Amino acid sequence: MANTLAEKYAERIQHHLSKYPDKRSAVMPLLYIAQEEYGWLSPQGIEEVAELCDMDPTQVKSIAGFYTMYREQPKGKFWLHVCTDLPCALKGAETFYADLLAHLGIEDGGTTEDGTFTVEHVMCLAACDRAPMLQCNFHFHEHLDMDKMRELLDQWRKEAEAYANKDV
Amino acid sequence: MSDKVKIIIDDIEYEVPAGSNLVDMAKWYADNDIPVFCYHPKMEPVGMCRMCLVEQGSIVKDRETGEVVLDENGNPQVRWFPKLQTACTQIVHDGMVIRTNTEAVKAARENVVEFLLTSHPLDCPICDKGGECPLQNLTMAHGPGTSRMNYDDKMHLDKHVPLGDLIFLDEERCIQCARCIRFQDEIVGDDVLAFHERGRKLQIITNSDPGFDTYFSGNTTDICPVGALTTADFRFGARPWELTEVPSICPHDAAGSNISLSVRLDRDFGGRAMIKRVMPRQNEYVNEIWISDKTRFGHHFTRSEDRLKKPMIKKGGVLTEATWDEAIRFVVDALKAADGSVAAIAGSSTPNEDLWTLRKLVEGLGGGLLGAWTPTHAGADLVAQVGVGKGTNLGDLGQGDAVLIIATDLEEEVPIWRLRLKQAADRGAYLVVANARKTRMDDFASDTVRYDYGQAAHAMQNLDAAIAKKLKEANNLIIVAGAEGLTLDGSRALMQAAANFLIESGHIGKPNNGLLSPFPGANGMGLHYMGFSPEATLQIMQNPPKLLIVNQAELLADDPFAAEWLNKVETIISLNLFPDAVSNMAAAALPIQSFAERDGTFTNGERRVQRFYMAQGPMGEALPAWQVFSQLSEALGQGHAKLSAAAVMKEITENVEAFAGMRYKELARVERQFPDVGGEDLYYGGTAYQNKGGLGVQIETSADKGEAVSVGEVKLPDSPKPKKGQVLVVPVAQLFNRQSTFKPSVLVHPRVPQPYVEINSKDAARMNIKTGDLVEVMMADQIRVTVQAHVNGGAPEGAAVLPRYLTDEATPMVLTVGEIKKV
Repeated sequence: MANTLAEKYAERIQHHLSKYPDKRSAVMPLLYIAQEEYGWLSPQGIEEVAELCDMDPTQVKSIAGFYTMYREQPKGKFWLHVCTDLPCALKGAETFYADLLAHLGIEDGGTTEDGTFTVEHVMCLAACDRAPMLQCNFHFHEHLDMDKMRELLDQWRKEAEAYANKDV
Repeated sequence: MSDKVKIIIDDIEYEVPAGSNLVDMAKWYADNDIPVFCYHPKMEPVGMCRMCLVEQGSIVKDRETGEVVLDENGNPQVRWFPKLQTACTQIVHDGMVIRTNTEAVKAARENVVEFLLTSHPLDCPICDKGGECPLQNLTMAHGPGTSRMNYDDKMHLDKHVPLGDLIFLDEERCIQCARCIRFQDEIVGDDVLAFHERGRKLQIITNSDPGFDTYFSGNTTDICPVGALTTADFRFGARPWELTEVPSICPHDAAGSNISLSVRLDRDFGGRAMIKRVMPRQNEYVNEIWISDKTRFGHHFTRSEDRLKKPMIKKGGVLTEATWDEAIRFVVDALKAADGSVAAIAGSSTPNEDLWTLRKLVEGLGGGLLGAWTPTHAGADLVAQVGVGKGTNLGDLGQGDAVLIIATDLEEEVPIWRLRLKQAADRGAYLVVANARKTRMDDFASDTVRYDYGQAAHAMQNLDAAIAKKLKEANNLIIVAGAEGLTLDGSRALMQAAANFLIESGHIGKPNNGLLSPFPGANGMGLHYMGFSPEATLQIMQNPPKLLIVNQAELLADDPFAAEWLNKVETIISLNLFPDAVSNMAAAALPIQSFAERDGTFTNGERRVQRFYMAQGPMGEALPAWQVFSQLSEALGQGHAKLSAAAVMKEITENVEAFAGMRYKELARVERQFPDVGGEDLYYGGTAYQNKGGLGVQIETSADKGEAVSVGEVKLPDSPKPKKGQVLVVPVAQLFNRQSTFKPSVLVHPRVPQPYVEINSKDAARMNIKTGDLVEVMMADQIRVTVQAHVNGGAPEGAAVLPRYLTDEATPMVLTVGEIKKV
């Protein structure tokens, strides 16, 4: 089986592997690379990382399962984490989250029909003072309201379309 | 472990070995069963389940004087930890004080049980573990009695998740103790199980391909403290309290694993006693509390419908059913007609009693040659002289000790030795694995040695100086020498070379030192002590007698060249479990009982003579072979037939020196073993059974007795040389195969590989063969098999590695040459 990751990201993989005495220590950064390549940790991606780290695929899968920032299911291109913990909720995050879901027409944890957005609520992201806030593909967006949000969503949707057209 | 420390458990002082585990010590010395779920005496503690919480403190000593500080009553003052401690993670130390019966401890236990039950379905009435379940028992002993959880609030998860072909996971029963995961990781070295997700979603998974199918997978069902892991064999098969446990010995390999056959009177077997499952029986010298999956799942042959059930004798050229009386008379006539030109060949799983009575029968007729089958492994005489010393325990090997494994694939041949030697390496033993190809053992080796097939003895004599030095200087040294890629002569030379190495370095005549060999079958060493040898088999082949008695040896299924010489034998008397090609040729085919239907003994590779007991109802009219031989002897006027296996053994003790102390009573002796697994408290070590059938007795080697040993001159034999266009055909062992004693275990079939031959990539490229291609391996004109080619780096150049017992046709037993052609 060809190892797509090894071929495509040779340099980055080597960079991570070279940091540790043990190959398996590099498993987490390599999982992020796999996630970047496949959009989620597909069986293929898990296999490839296992091979690169000289680990059993079961152990790699176990690590992917333990940490919430690894996607084990295919998700939307933009993965939104909205914090609804207490301090955020006090600043209206719960209403904001409900409005966002209603705007996109999806349930908590759902993905839009076009496969562009997946929205989940999460525990504290350590930005309580800038709530309501969310994290989109691991980048923070803060001091949000629905107006700002609509703008962001439009922008991301355009990016997604551009990306799709580029692919064709 | 010689240093002792003083600890106080519930106000009583005990002196216990320093460095040991508190749970183990409380159980061993104080008979105090601290409840545990995740802790297991064979594995590292993890302190996950919190069931073993105890109050712990230390006796206060004055820092300046070192004197024990006393309280106002004159008792030593104890400084208690502010919180309860997990006993399983505590190493005993001087002045350790614990209390296991206080209110705080009781409350903690009750809370932990209640907490575990919040996610447990309590479906005990349909659970295989019900009746011998640690969770059930500990709930009864320490649990709250009532539940505050609504059933609907519990996690409801999948109840039938196959982790492999043989093991099922019930996700909602799992209490996440990780015993199975740790077993696979620490003890087996195949980390194919892991946790996935976390919190209440935590689950056992396997993401490997193939899944959970290691040769030891069944053991996880024993150590699972709930009914989460069950075997495909026993699932919903019976309730534990219906079962009677009968001590027995694994009939498949040289380890001689102690097992317990769980039997009950079963409708599916005509109301007779039937084996419902095979469980490990603790013998710390032999298999500890583990058994291989072949041992566990390979019992179905004993009641296969294909078993030979009635005596058959040739009438008018046709094998016809007969009564035993007729058959005995018929065979007696045949024996008399042979005029002393009688020989016998016995298979390597023939019990000692059968071998002895067979020998007496042949000797009484003036015949002589007693052949051991299969004639592949030489040097049993050397094992009798310089084998591992009496008292050897592979579990004792560790730092400072060394093991050399040469010319064998232990994983496939004797998996229990592989398991125990892997752990010896983990404990720090220097493990060298020498073979012509990579085997599983390489993964655990400190050093590996490669040599060309056929050159094992040469490699043994010319070990790399640095490796040889480490081996020689080790405190203890065991050499495990097999016969892979060797002819019988080659095997002898290797055994001699290995014996010489041990003698020169002084590693003989004491425990944990000496020679071992993975003889095929369960009684390879018994064959030797009873006078059967592979060399005699070769003589029989070269000079076939008029009459040949074949006992439990499927000559034609094992050896593609057997027909040639077997045709020259006038009369064949065949005794076997199954009708086979030999019994079809025979003048008389007599049904004999398997190990499960009778009493008897096997002598394992470590020369331990071990008893097995009658468990299952007999198949048809089959008799134990010793009874048949004994009756034949009587009919020939050689004295009265023996009435019991015990009586046969008594006769053996009087005639075979090595067996002098082997009366059945002696073999049945037991003693308390550490760790104290089995018994009432199943939660401690799992459902491996306490040994009530006997630990067996190990035969002393000549070296143990201080007698002179003679190895003989090592003659390096000429190894078969392939001509142009030929390759070396190397038969290798495959644990899961289609041998007649394993084939009836249908549930293991998915794990038996399709017939294949492993070819080196260079040879494959030359012949334009790719993995998956069908190829014909041709040894001689009529001797050929068609198998799938594997080009996976498992064969050295010029060699075709051909696993035995995968094809319907016989494949070579020993190293030979052949051609490979793409079909």
